[in-house]
Amino acid sequence: MTVLEGGKISARQFMAVLIVLRTVPVTLVFSLISNVNHVQDVWIAVIIGAAITIPFVILVTKLSLRFPGKTIIEYSQILLGPVIGRLLSLIILWCFLCTSIDITRGLGEAYVIAIMPETPIFAFMIMLAIMSCYAARSGLEVICRLGEDVFYVLVFVLLLTYVLPYNAMRFENLRPILTWGVSNLVPPTVANLGYYSQFLIIGMLVPYLSKPEDSTKYAIYAVLISGALMALAAVALVAVFGPTANSWTLPLFSLSRMISLGEFFERIEAAVMAAWTLSTGIKLALLLWAVSLGIAQLFNLKAFEHLVYPLGAVIVSLSLSFFESMVELEDFLAKASAMASILVVGVTLLLLYAALGVRTVIYRRKGGSG
Amino acid sequence: MALGMLSRVLRRLLSRQRTDIRAQGACPSSPHGILSKRLRENEALIRGAFGESCDLIIREVRFGISPGIAVLVVHIDGLVDTALVSEAVIKPIGVTSGLLELERLSSAQVQDRLKDRLILLSDVKQVSGKADLLNCIAGGKCAIIVDGSSEAFVCDVRGFEKRGIEEPQSEVVIRGPREGFSEVLRINTTLLRRRIRDPRLWIQEFTVGRVSRTQVAIAYIKGIANDKVVQEARDRIARIDVDSIQESGELEEYLEDAPFSPFPTILRTERPDRVTGALFEGRIAILTDGTPFALIAPVTFLMFLTSPEDYYERFFIASAVRLLRYASSFIALLLPALYVAVTTFHQEMLPTPLVLAIAAQREGVPFPAVFEALLMEVAFEILREAAVRLPKIYGPAISIVGVLILGEAAVRAGLVSSAMIIVVALTAIASFVTPIFSLSIAVRLLRFPMILLAGTLGLFGVVFGFSVVGIHLSSLRSFGVPFLEPIAPVVLSDLKDALIRLPWWAMDTRPQFTGGQNLRRQSRGLMPRPPKPQADGTRSTNGKKGSR
Repeated sequence: MTVLEGGKISARQFMAVLIVLRTVPVTLVFSLISNVNHVQDVWIAVIIGAAITIPFVILVTKLSLRFPGKTIIEYSQILLGPVIGRLLSLIILWCFLCTSIDITRGLGEAYVIAIMPETPIFAFMIMLAIMSCYAARSGLEVICRLGEDVFYVLVFVLLLTYVLPYNAMRFENLRPILTWGVSNLVPPTVANLGYYSQFLIIGMLVPYLSKPEDSTKYAIYAVLISGALMALAAVALVAVFGPTANSWTLPLFSLSRMISLGEFFERIEAAVMAAWTLSTGIKLALLLWAVSLGIAQLFNLKAFEHLVYPLGAVIVSLSLSFFESMVELEDFLAKASAMASILVVGVTLLLLYAALGVRTVIYRRKGGSG
Repeated sequence: MALGMLSRVLRRLLSRQRTDIRAQGACPSSPHGILSKRLRENEALIRGAFGESCDLIIREVRFGISPGIAVLVVHIDGLVDTALVSEAVIKPIGVTSGLLELERLSSAQVQDRLKDRLILLSDVKQVSGKADLLNCIAGGKCAIIVDGSSEAFVCDVRGFEKRGIEEPQSEVVIRGPREGFSEVLRINTTLLRRRIRDPRLWIQEFTVGRVSRTQVAIAYIKGIANDKVVQEARDRIARIDVDSIQESGELEEYLEDAPFSPFPTILRTERPDRVTGALFEGRIAILTDGTPFALIAPVTFLMFLTSPEDYYERFFIASAVRLLRYASSFIALLLPALYVAVTTFHQEMLPTPLVLAIAAQREGVPFPAVFEALLMEVAFEILREAAVRLPKIYGPAISIVGVLILGEAAVRAGLVSSAMIIVVALTAIASFVTPIFSLSIAVRLLRFPMILLAGTLGLFGVVFGFSVVGIHLSSLRSFGVPFLEPIAPVVLSDLKDALIRLPWWAMDTRPQFTGGQNLRRQSRGLMPRPPKPQADGTRSTNGKKGSR
């Protein structure tokens, strides 16, 4: 069988792209906040979300390590048979595709809302798709090499954005803690888990690590670091904007506009926008790579590269037709999409582990009798 | 799909073209077979091969006492040291042989005497093939043919007019050696040998070009350079089947990994210290006869932004200068684009007084900023190209026209704003900071699409262009080494000599990708420290203790 993807990535690159994958929506729409009525406890929900995600990534990496050199698409066919396995793979790939559609639309909307209102939205989306397709076609190694650099830039810019508006911060805004009860934490936690369900892409990445056995450790690091970045964002936003933090369309972008140091260090929103565009490009490239590789593996194609540009076109056109507006996109991400992707991840893991258990039992019996 | 089909068709066309050249015999072939025993036939062969060339010299001398045996001395005038030929070849045959030899000798004996005693040169070889003989003569050797023998001697008496070793023009340093490579391959290999006095410096020579027969040499340090890379370079040179190679730039296009990239993936330099520095990092050098530009491979992107001086200056200063250089290349690539983007789309990002000042200047300017920028950049590129080509005496004239008329008068006439002139001038100066010319022209070229992107999509366009360049760069490889190493992929141990330079005593290891098989380059703990105080309270200095 031909090798579709020959690249090898380091554990650090693996961690970096996972964090970029998780953190990109933060710099766009903090829909965890726009989703809830009472914002000041959102940071707790973020931490809970990260905590719940840790066992999930352990399950995914352990499963992948059982099948060295095989992606989740390949081993789900081994475990569940060609029909159910393919069906499940298709659903997983559809989830990845949906995420790509969401972020493509999100980037276009953010640019139209914040920076260039008169430019047609598809201009941004097409350019983003071209850029990401180019990276995805160049293979996983290129995506991850750039992903690591973009990760450093992104973390630097995010930390600047969190720290520098210190003049405007009122930490009293965060108190009192948990006045509206624990039930208020449920919607943001669900939305948060919805984003974390994108970590299912670990199942595509583990076989390409130069040392796959490191994947569990670095996946946990990725969850922790991205959780910390998100929780800090929640804290900074509430500290600056107070109870109105949920009414801002692009909260972090607005936060970066608050920065003003000594009347010369200001207007860093361009840097935020640039860092965020780069990270969205990397995220879209990774998803495009995963979807096209997955399709190629699903249908035994000889190469995945030819699928990338058509997929890019599909993503752009679907993202134009899926949503009416930014409000609809946010609502979809926080509610329907989140629930659906949590469901997909849950069902996937359940099915795969059940099949693994059945296989092990059968194998043992055979081994015992023979 | 369409791309794949296109490339398949192209490949088929190209391969057909190649076979056609071979079939038609577009490259004239040399005569086959071995030399004749008759002197006259051999003479006719040589005369026939060189045709009407006026610089062919055939001198007949007689060996021994009269009548003796006829010996032909053949060489090309101008390529050999004539005094040496007459002293070391003609005189021994014509005069000394007459004193020593009394009886008649067979031609085989004559040859033995010649080789063993009489020819007073160190490099003498025997050839028997017609083609070999002709090539040696054309290559500047002196051929000696004895009547009755089907073998000839060729001896190296090359001596021709050449340029001396001068200071390199394209890479100037303040501190560092002033020697530059010259056009003669032998001088260049000598410059390397003089810097690495160890037998492990291996220099292998190839002949490239069916007709030009250009000498190409691969130099590397055995045990440091990766053998696979050396073999790869050998293979790539061996597959070049052309009629001539004039300059290493031609060779580069046949050797490089990314033929369609605007960025060079092989570094060219005319500084021997740069080459030896690269050799010690496990890279290989490819020297070409006829040009002072040597090629270095594998290379990384950051090497194009370093100057040998970085390693000779104090590391604080070298690091600061490096950061400055990186900033300059960003300016050279992005500044006009950023200016266009900000003034066209994002005026709110500038402080209000600056916006007002720019707006006031642009009041009477008839063009949009993107057109203004393209216009001025093209004008500047024309000026720069003119400055390189024009005879030196016209220099002052062109600078007056360029500076006063094009710059000053264009602003006065309201064709361009003076802010744009400042931007273009800063960009131009920043692009001169790049130490290696081949990178700086790539950046110059990419500036134009960047301006166009900025003019259509604002900052998003700039970010798009920058990302595409970044994706492209990180997908490049130079002889198997990732081009953006150590930034993408991040290699922590190689960051010591990337954005900044650590002191020499802290750079213990060679780069991972090129020097991986012989990583350690110096002992640990070489940082100079003050001497430890002795038991008696005095400080010893260099082991020389004060006498009491």
